[in-house]
Amino acid sequence: MNTEHPVNRRWNMRQRDWAVVFWISFLSAAAGAFVLFGLLNPLDMINGWADEFDIGVRLAYGLAFTFLYLVCLLASALTMFMIRTGPSSGHVKGEGRHSIPEIHDPSESNPDLDGEDWK
Amino acid sequence: MSAQQGAGGSLYEKEAKVYPRDVKGTFASLRKLAMVVLLGLYYIVPWINWAGHQSVLFDLPARKFYILGLTFWPQDFIFLTLMLIIAGLSLFFVTAVWGRLWCGYACPQTVWTEAFLWLERLVEGDRNKRMKLDASPWNRNKILRKTTKQVLWISFALWTGFTFVGFFTPIRELGHSIFTFQLGPWETFWFLFYSFATYGNAGILREQVCKYMCPYARFQSAMFDKDTLVIAYDESRGEPRGGRRKSIIPSEQGLGDCISCTLCVQVCPTGIDIREGLQIECIACAACIDVCDQVMDKMSYEKGLISYTTEHRISGQETHLLRPRIFVYAFLLLALTAGVLWSVNQRVLLRADLLRDRNALYRELPDNMIENVYTLKMINMDFKQHQYRIEVVDNDDMVLFISPDPTLEPEEVGNFILRMQAPASAGHGSVKVDVRFSTMEEPIIERTVSTRFLMPYE
Repeated sequence: MNTEHPVNRRWNMRQRDWAVVFWISFLSAAAGAFVLFGLLNPLDMINGWADEFDIGVRLAYGLAFTFLYLVCLLASALTMFMIRTGPSSGHVKGEGRHSIPEIHDPSESNPDLDGEDWK
Repeated sequence: MSAQQGAGGSLYEKEAKVYPRDVKGTFASLRKLAMVVLLGLYYIVPWINWAGHQSVLFDLPARKFYILGLTFWPQDFIFLTLMLIIAGLSLFFVTAVWGRLWCGYACPQTVWTEAFLWLERLVEGDRNKRMKLDASPWNRNKILRKTTKQVLWISFALWTGFTFVGFFTPIRELGHSIFTFQLGPWETFWFLFYSFATYGNAGILREQVCKYMCPYARFQSAMFDKDTLVIAYDESRGEPRGGRRKSIIPSEQGLGDCISCTLCVQVCPTGIDIREGLQIECIACAACIDVCDQVMDKMSYEKGLISYTTEHRISGQETHLLRPRIFVYAFLLLALTAGVLWSVNQRVLLRADLLRDRNALYRELPDNMIENVYTLKMINMDFKQHQYRIEVVDNDDMVLFISPDPTLEPEEVGNFILRMQAPASAGHGSVKVDVRFSTMEEPIIERTVSTRFLMPYE
């Protein structure tokens, strides 16, 4: 078998994680914006600023979507971080895992501790 | 069946339930004291009144936050943001100096878990009794104890949920609504939701929250350095560990000071062995220090085999309390706190917003006068009624008419129509106008607001 040709690598785990974070956040923000603006008119909510900034409806949609996207990104990225950096002991089986701490009666190998309240 | 399962099952396994043993000692007493003070504040503060209001009340429908005699309006949102930043910085500072002090003594998860554990011990007994009870078949004793525990846990959780809602709805009215079955739907939802969250987190999940769910535990390594206080086992002194009689001299038997009693593991609320080294699961509650000191005492050894120390001290180097990151955190914390206190103290208890009438730029009146119409929104943020004087600053040409009479009750929001008139000869185009609002009564509260007066361009 010829192995001399360089192999095109696919993305590594971290790149795939970030791709999932960006895409799922996008879908969630889109669904959120869809439902939100199905129920509310953005111009009703920004009436107070209208004098100064004169925000049009398209810009209001865009800003709200961006805000929702950022919130979803933050939540997804934090979730990814929490799952990928969990403690190695007592959770994942196999290499790198601490063994379950051994527990026994203190007086078992220390007769002078016999009769104490920690049996 | 997936390939993973086919190759030998899931990579994950359920953890064994942790039955932390009760412990007595200096740090256990401090932890209990922290629990009593913090839970005491949580449950009692909403029942105390201050300056005619509940001492802490986040009145969302009225959009007013009452905090210890101060009223914060939506316009004061910046203070809330700054206070949150101060809280975050305080956590950074405390973590950099004292390590996971927050986790071990003050975190709501720790405090409520401690309270739930106390109730559990009260009904089911200490560690061994609880383990035996769980392993025994269901009988009258087990049903009775488990039911009693659940009743106590659920009652405590419901009281917690009730108090939580009491920070958002006046707690006395809330209590009355509950006893007369007139609780609103949203209050009912939050009451039950927070009760359930308390029960689930403190009764069921416990250490799993700290180990797998808490982001602070993961981020804290960024605040740690080798001079941060940690709880550590003195390996050089303790190893090799092993059981022995009290009468022997350990060094002659080739033993260290650790007698391998495993009590440090048994008291640990997260079920770890501190002798394995620094671990992310350690919440620094110091239960292992207390129990190890007791054992050392019994064996007539020097205390401190497990102790509060620093990585530098463990490796025989000097510990530095004062270091650059401490100065940076302390400086930011002091500057922000001083800034917020000064700003709150300087707050003007009057807000006024002038919004131009969007239907017409200006109106031409007889007598060659030009009129602009504004909607004036005023908020009296004081606890007293005020009548206001409204005048244009440094512009004698302008005449103001306001209706109705600008008088506001304490904490009242009022909307008024303000008409401003000036002779057409006074200017062209857009003219900047400063309008001053001041109270008729002493001490005078005043605020000046700028707006634009529009006139014909030609």
